[in-house]
Amino acid sequence: MQDNDLEYLTIALPKGKLFSLSAQLLKKVGYDAENLSEKSRKLVISNEEKKIRFIITKTADVPTYVEYGAADIGVIGKDVLLESEKDVYELLDLGFGACHLMMAVPKDRKRAKLSDYAHTRVATKFPHIAEEFFTRQGMQMEYVKLNGSIELGPIVGLSESIVDIVETGATLKENRLEEIARIMDLTARLIANRVSFRLKFDRIEALVRDLKKILQDAP
Amino acid sequence: MENIVLKIPYGMRDFLPDEAKEKRLIENKIAELFSKWGYKEVVTPTMEYLDTLMFGANRADESRLIKFVAKDNRTIALRHEMTTPIARLAAMRFKDSPLPLKLSYISGVYRNAEIQKGRQCEFYQAGVELIGSQSAAADAEIIALAVYGILAAGIKNFKVSIGRVDFVKGIMEQYRIPSDVAENLQQVMERRNLVEYEKIIDSLEISAEGKAALKEIPYLKGNGEILNRARNMALNEQSRYAIERLTEVYSILEAYEVSEYISFDLGILRDMNYYTGVVFEAYTAGLGFPLCGGGRYDRLLSDFGRPLPAIGFAIGIERILLAKEREGNSDKDKSTGIYIAYAEGKLKEAIAKAKELRLAGKIICLALQAENEEQAKLYGGENGFDEVVYLK
Repeated sequence: MQDNDLEYLTIALPKGKLFSLSAQLLKKVGYDAENLSEKSRKLVISNEEKKIRFIITKTADVPTYVEYGAADIGVIGKDVLLESEKDVYELLDLGFGACHLMMAVPKDRKRAKLSDYAHTRVATKFPHIAEEFFTRQGMQMEYVKLNGSIELGPIVGLSESIVDIVETGATLKENRLEEIARIMDLTARLIANRVSFRLKFDRIEALVRDLKKILQDAP
Repeated sequence: MENIVLKIPYGMRDFLPDEAKEKRLIENKIAELFSKWGYKEVVTPTMEYLDTLMFGANRADESRLIKFVAKDNRTIALRHEMTTPIARLAAMRFKDSPLPLKLSYISGVYRNAEIQKGRQCEFYQAGVELIGSQSAAADAEIIALAVYGILAAGIKNFKVSIGRVDFVKGIMEQYRIPSDVAENLQQVMERRNLVEYEKIIDSLEISAEGKAALKEIPYLKGNGEILNRARNMALNEQSRYAIERLTEVYSILEAYEVSEYISFDLGILRDMNYYTGVVFEAYTAGLGFPLCGGGRYDRLLSDFGRPLPAIGFAIGIERILLAKEREGNSDKDKSTGIYIAYAEGKLKEAIAKAKELRLAGKIICLALQAENEEQAKLYGGENGFDEVVYLK
């Protein structure tokens, strides 16, 4: 495997909603492979002719694969990237997967101002980003880390508020939650390992250049 | 009582015999090389006062230091690298020594950080510091020695990327980027966030040409010809000096016959913030982190009261071990030597035999009690000895 290491470019793609968008975009610049599908049973899908290897992983693991150099580059949401605090190159804003991170509270128990929530509990998948945000507001909070269905927190009395990703706001509405602070806008990013960015620079640079052209031409 | 589990603290590791042996072998080869190049080894204390590590241009990131309180109620910290302790030595202990000072070390250093591949909280570094010379020959000597050091450690496939922090600073000055924005841009680049870097550049009120040049910096990587591209971009004294100096250093490296290992990366910025001129890192395929890093730090010593230019590097020993394993050329010397066993009453004879063979350079394991020949052969085979010598 070592002999091929420098020849192959290994790309980590996340399962879930970013997968097909990433695969489509990469295909436009000639990066594809037969049977590249999220549902593939194979963990590594190769294109021998073009010397590309795809690995499909759980979303939160993409930055880890790239940081350790197990994948040279990867596609990941900015939220996951920020929360993971991994040491990787963030090369390109891919534009898709747009959503935003916000704080929401139950509509019927809304307090007058943001600072009225100081020292309360906030349920979130992103305790690091949330802490950074609240610290900037001069607020101390208690963070309750959850791994899914964050909206449930305030409903069952686990927390007074949530910090979560919102795309359309439908889930918030269904659960009678209201956004009270927008924390940041998020999109998918192309990331690279710091050693790969040097040792496989020509390939990665060409890929970034091609992707930039496509992203600029897109309406 | 039978279920005792003795853990070791987070980020610490044990080296068992095979690993310890290989580590020692690599360290010995590097130590011999450093000594041949005239670098004298020093040993400094594992602990320093926090104030020393947080002094002046070299402010360690305090959250990454492992600290405790000393008997005199001052805060002490485990050294997080060796450059600062050696700068302290140069400023305090070598006041009257002739220059340049050439010092080397092989030491454990400590960082309170998340564990990475080939880097625990305690890890070993082998490095040198060359103090008192500002010349291009000094830059080249240090880079060449880093290449030879990695080769001596047994790594074959690697690249050393060279850049200069003053090139980046010069280009920013050339387009009159306000100093607070320039600092922000460098920090963002250091965090490797090129998306944010380009976003900040887009928001600046400078010429399109300036924006294009700034955006190109992280992509100025490659062999010698990249210097020509960079030269065309360098319009002020500082950035032009950076390129001329790199060109000069490169030509000296050709004389050292190491240019095949060299590439350029003008967007390189190292994590330590005391670097002033040339900076470099070494990479090998399959290991996601640098093997070695170094650079010039001309201001650190003046903060310690002795204004002297200096340059140095450190090689990560655990990362070398990992890279060798990846390259499949670990020096794991499997030989366990000769087992000397003996019949009743022959111990003294066996001791004499062991002495003779040890003097001849053999590894000898002497039995601790008499046994018969059959038992000795069985024991020797089971324990993987190369040979069994039995004295009747």
